Amino acid sequence: MKKKLIKINVLDVLIILAVLAMGSWFVFRINTALDYQWNWSIIPQYMFRFDAEHGWVPNMLMQGFFMTIKLSIWSTILAVILGTTMGLCKISGSLYKRLISNSYVEIIRNVPPLVLVFIFYFFIGDQIMTVLGVGDTVRSFSDTTKFWINIFFAPAPQFPEFLSAVITLGLYEGAYITEIIRSGIESIEKGQWEASYALGLSKSQQMIHVVLPQAVQRILPPLAGQFISIIKDSAIVSVISIQELTFQGMELMAATFLTFEIWITITALYFFLTFFCSLAAGWIENRYRESGYLA
Amino acid sequence: MIEINNINKAFTNGITALKNFSLTVQRKEVVVIIGPSGSGKSTLLKCLNGLEEIDEGSIVIDGIPLDHQKKNRLEIRKEVGMVFQSFNLFPHMTVMENINLAQMVVRKKSAAQAQETTMELLTKVDIASKAGSYPAQLSGGQQQRVAIARALAMMPKVMLFDEATSALDPEMIGEVLDVMKNLAKEGMTMIVVTHEMGFAKEAGDRIVFMADGEIVEQGTSEKFFNNPEKERTKQFLSQIF
Ligand SMILES: Nc1ncnc2c1ncn2[C@@H]1O[C@H](COP(=O)(O)OP(=O)(O)OP(=O)(O)O)[C@@H](O)[C@H]1O
Ligand SMILES: [Mg+2]
Repeated sequence: MKKKLIKINVLDVLIILAVLAMGSWFVFRINTALDYQWNWSIIPQYMFRFDAEHGWVPNMLMQGFFMTIKLSIWSTILAVILGTTMGLCKISGSLYKRLISNSYVEIIRNVPPLVLVFIFYFFIGDQIMTVLGVGDTVRSFSDTTKFWINIFFAPAPQFPEFLSAVITLGLYEGAYITEIIRSGIESIEKGQWEASYALGLSKSQQMIHVVLPQAVQRILPPLAGQFISIIKDSAIVSVISIQELTFQGMELMAATFLTFEIWITITALYFFLTFFCSLAAGWIENRYRESGYLA
Repeated sequence: MIEINNINKAFTNGITALKNFSLTVQRKEVVVIIGPSGSGKSTLLKCLNGLEEIDEGSIVIDGIPLDHQKKNRLEIRKEVGMVFQSFNLFPHMTVMENINLAQMVVRKKSAAQAQETTMELLTKVDIASKAGSYPAQLSGGQQQRVAIARALAMMPKVMLFDEATSALDPEMIGEVLDVMKNLAKEGMTMIVVTHEMGFAKEAGDRIVFMADGEIVEQGTSEKFFNNPEKERTKQFLSQIF
């Protein structure tokens, strides 16, 4: 790849100066008008703390950070499964399937996510989880199982809440992924369907061998973007006491009153996560393109 | 081999593409279909393998009726190979994989068996050295020859060509027509939609001239080109020569 020369013109300089001025003014206001006592030294100990038994272990902020990652990954997996199924239903010839997928997408997209969170939390969390006895089941597991549940999901006592949060986010984001999958598949030229039909492939074989592999390449970039949205949207489940990054931030703020330090740290952590994902997505996309057939 | 009986085809937008169309094609016969744009040539070919549904009439290919039974429809798709104007190769697969796919998925051949057939066919269309290339790395003429090999890999009894050379640069048309001529010589039953009158004269056993979804005139290539009967045919021929 050719390195582009970076040219800086007058406008760029003005913008940089404006940003710096805004930042300084912000700090100045906090210091003078609010008479705010900065105390950054206390933040690191909320990220990692020293435990006599285990050595360095993540503390509240990092626990929340990891919870956000786990929540995002599981929600994404669910959302992709759901989105793929519904996306396929959307383009299906069956009116019944189209009705189901259209209703799903329309309902999800026309209700505020916060409202969805509450509905799902009280419905799935309170009713379904209890009826299914998820909490009791998890409680009855051996300690090793609980250990692994903690690693991959959430601490065992919070598992039912975690699960309903994942389902909520998965259902919510699945509606957007449905559209991504649908438009990806519909972007494949009609001739590809026709040629594979003429060769005798069944509808599902046409899909699996010919259409989907090509659609994936077009689906991947928006899907990566959606994953980043999921990371950000996951903050919303803090309202149902899932101990992810935002929730931990609020708890910590209530305890220490270090409003700015905490929110700046949280912002940095979210940014770190999403920025890293953007880079990874860009890299994957490039790899895909280079290895691919778009010679 | 192919019996088309009084078929009608109208699209949902109200356009009637085929009107009471009938045509019988003998085994090993090469029928060339010509006609102005929009006359229903592509639609006719698509109806023959079920890519488009006919509204009325019947189509029987090698004794198998094209009806609503899945088994019959699949059998017909296996027996009828189709080559498109826009090649429609699968861009994410190599040439080899393009040709192997249906052999393995539909004919259930092993990878080794499929590869053997594929290499034979690629040699036949004179492009064996490109087995590992992706379609985007080939010229139009090469792509179309691969597409022909891909259709042949299903061992079809009938081949349909829909303006197979129309998207090609002039210097590549010859190589594709040569493959088609060889196929005709070997006794393949073919229906060829084309604007290449040279090919029609040389390889066509019968020429069918279509307009507005109907057959205007048909005859042996000699009679058709030298002594056309209908005014409409003469007019069309004078336009293209
Ligand atoms: N999917 C479709 N929906 C609606 N109308 C269609 C469709 N496909 C074809 N038609 C119409 O049917 C008529 C016949 O089309 P067809 O493609 O069979 O013509 P053709 O003889 O192959 O023409 P050309 O030489 O341009 O390829 C045209 O009027 C066309 O506009
Ligand atoms: Mg056509």
